[in-house]
Amino acid sequence: MSLFKIQNLTYYYPDRERPALKNINLHVEEGELLLIVGGSGSGKSTLARVLAGLIPDFYGGKIGGRVFFEGRELSEDGRRALSTQAGIVFQDPEKQLVMTAVEAEIAFGLENLGLPQQEMFRRVAEVMSFLNLSPLKNEFTANLSGGQKQKVALASVLVMQPRVLILDEPTSQLDPAAADEFFYLIERLNKEMGYTVVLIEQRLERCFHLADRLVVMERGEILREGPVGEVARWEVENALPFLPPVARFFAFLHAPFIPLTVKEGRRELKKFLPVSPARPPDAGRRASENNNPGPFPLLTMPKGQVKQERAVVEIKNVWFTYPNGREALKGINCRVEKGEFVVIMGENAAGKTTLLKQIVGLLKPGRGSVVVMEKDTRTVSLAELARDVGYLAQNPDDHLFQDTVEKELLFTLNNLSLADDGVIDAVLDKLSIVQHRDANPRDLSSGERQRVALAAVLVARPQLLVLDEPTRGIDYRLKKELGAFLKELAEEGLTVMVVTHDVEFAAEYAGRVIMMFDGMLVCDGPKDRVLGTSMFYAPQMARLFKDFAGGVLTVKEGLAKIRSNGDAKKCLSVNADC
Amino acid sequence: MERLSYEEKGVFLQTLHTGVVLVYLGVLCVLALLFSHPLYLTGIFILGALAVIVSEAVEKWEMYLRMGIWMALLIMIINPLVFRTGKTVLWHGPTVPVLGKLDICLEAICYGAAMGIRLLAVLTVFCLYNAVVHPDKILSLFARYAYKSALVVSLATRMLPAVARDLANAREVQQLRGVDYGSGSLRERVRKHSWLLNIVLSSSLERALQVAEAMQARAFGTGPRSCYRRELRRPRDLLCFTAGILALLFSLLAKFKGYGDYTYYPQMGKLVESSSSVIWLGIILISLSLPVVLSWGWKHCPYLRSKI
Repeated sequence: MSLFKIQNLTYYYPDRERPALKNINLHVEEGELLLIVGGSGSGKSTLARVLAGLIPDFYGGKIGGRVFFEGRELSEDGRRALSTQAGIVFQDPEKQLVMTAVEAEIAFGLENLGLPQQEMFRRVAEVMSFLNLSPLKNEFTANLSGGQKQKVALASVLVMQPRVLILDEPTSQLDPAAADEFFYLIERLNKEMGYTVVLIEQRLERCFHLADRLVVMERGEILREGPVGEVARWEVENALPFLPPVARFFAFLHAPFIPLTVKEGRRELKKFLPVSPARPPDAGRRASENNNPGPFPLLTMPKGQVKQERAVVEIKNVWFTYPNGREALKGINCRVEKGEFVVIMGENAAGKTTLLKQIVGLLKPGRGSVVVMEKDTRTVSLAELARDVGYLAQNPDDHLFQDTVEKELLFTLNNLSLADDGVIDAVLDKLSIVQHRDANPRDLSSGERQRVALAAVLVARPQLLVLDEPTRGIDYRLKKELGAFLKELAEEGLTVMVVTHDVEFAAEYAGRVIMMFDGMLVCDGPKDRVLGTSMFYAPQMARLFKDFAGGVLTVKEGLAKIRSNGDAKKCLSVNADC
Repeated sequence: MERLSYEEKGVFLQTLHTGVVLVYLGVLCVLALLFSHPLYLTGIFILGALAVIVSEAVEKWEMYLRMGIWMALLIMIINPLVFRTGKTVLWHGPTVPVLGKLDICLEAICYGAAMGIRLLAVLTVFCLYNAVVHPDKILSLFARYAYKSALVVSLATRMLPAVARDLANAREVQQLRGVDYGSGSLRERVRKHSWLLNIVLSSSLERALQVAEAMQARAFGTGPRSCYRRELRRPRDLLCFTAGILALLFSLLAKFKGYGDYTYYPQMGKLVESSSSVIWLGIILISLSLPVVLSWGWKHCPYLRSKI
């Protein structure tokens, strides 16, 4: 018998005319890891809330169809029983913690269940040991890192010993290292502890291989479900983007077996591409073309960029120390030209955001200078700088407070004493949000909110656009749209600088990548040289082609490489175009 | 606001049962208010200072002292200007309206100084409270009696740093959209800041809804609940509790016998009227110092550590 069985489920949120879920039929088997993918607004999170018993109990609305848990209809069970059947971990760890300290937070659910003292002690102790949270037990949750907070959120759900663990994009707010650690825990819970897991996720390159079954959702419907390889092939045939690069690459090749990890992919690739371990074939050519001595030039500018006369951003020997004594930037030198698309990468606290704030003028250098559009940030006011520099914050909600989208754009124009010469229409049209002109921005979906915030920035026609973690928490399709849009802007002559942890995004869209470590700039150059030769910041395709061929960062480049190799072309069908 | 005052340092007083720490600190505070004798007040202040030192909270204490010393000086200056009933006039000042003749008396200065020490002693107790009492433990202590109020306090405490962060982020973003918070008339500035309030309020409401959802998912409000009690009871708790209660009893007894009070006006009495006064002070201080001594021993003597 299936653990969960959903029959003909349709659900409408209160006051909505379009169903959030439409005729859903799905079953969840004991011990499996079910991965649900889809774009924003596809109904994934709504489905998770149905399984967790929060819909319709918490949200209200109209519901049709039936949901069974072990043969019993879910609506028959009380809330207390529901919380021990399925536990849910949400996207943002910040918004699901209740108590101020770790141990109290973990015990909160048990207190609600009214368990006896001894039982609570045992469960809290076990969970804290398993997740290695004991050293933090008296720590304030406010002082924890994002990854630690999400681990506490997982602990507070696990401690209630639910039969099914539902994870609604649990790593969307985490940096890659914390996300990897979280997925490792999920793998252990599923494989070693036998937990049934329903995982909704956007970072597919990190969790695709963990899944037993894959469900693809769009517009509130299940488009396809089944074994991962089979659904991956179907996705490629139907031009759906919810696949990690390795699986997408082999699905394009119509390979008989779809690898889900780099390891499996390399094993497959070896069958038709010869290994050239000494040196990637393209590396030498590229290095000599650029007249550059090595793959990681320390603090040097790539040749060919210096010759331009006027830089959009010129950072000279910038040092910066925060009032608490932390030296965040150490001797940064960097020059960004008009029309460049630059991605700044690095671990947490490497100084990326501090550098960004120096560029937009929110922070002033302790030593050295930052000149943006020939204006020294030390002497020019923020308002004056804002005419040339557009800044999109990580959280688009920090931009939005007007009643309508149009007013939000007008607000920027009025502040900067600019007239609407048709720019509002043009920007709304370019970002495909013209239909939301009179809508309240806060009522829109997360992807649309981001586009409204971006429109409110672009309406001032900035020369430099700076974005802080714009891909955090957004789906593959939105990411693709955003990347293509930014690339187009850069081609039109706007300079784009993005701080991100997203290696695949950088590989696909950036022109140049800057890597930071401990407040210093450790590598700066064209993306294929920085990412292609990196050990840990390489995209999946670069890791797949390592020792086979150089200069491959994206699926497109991988397919081109196969096409150019006669033997491989014979073995595989590479007529498909991505 | 990001960092709450409490820091887990693993010091002795942090390992005590919250109830015991509250009793001990309560006794210290009551005694600082009960006595007016400068020696008694100084003794309590010194003891509080020692407790701060063994609790490794000197840095925090300095912040409290910086504020406290100015206030103490202010009391010392204002008191002689207002109270002129002392007999030992140090300086005959001019007559000013409202206050009358400004005669500065030694007694008023000394009384002001004693009150300053009392203030510093009370501030020291507050500093100790912040340094050694985990707010969650206080909440769980009271949760059994007023659980909903405790939860509201906890949620508000969790929300404060998030709201502060929202506010800072929104301010930066709006500045980069051309909003200059430093310019314009008062009315314009208020209007500009009200936009920030709008953003923070919207974000806080959304956050509140999500927290409520997470609470429902964790069975909140599904029926009778139990209370997770994490605190252990050790011999050290009994010792410190007894020391605190004994200090309070001895103090009440001393007060009843007339020790611990001091005559400032119209003429100051002797600092040491009788040896009994000093003996009583000694007894009270010895009782109060037990947690400090145990704290030192706990840190330096593994044998003692294993026994208490």
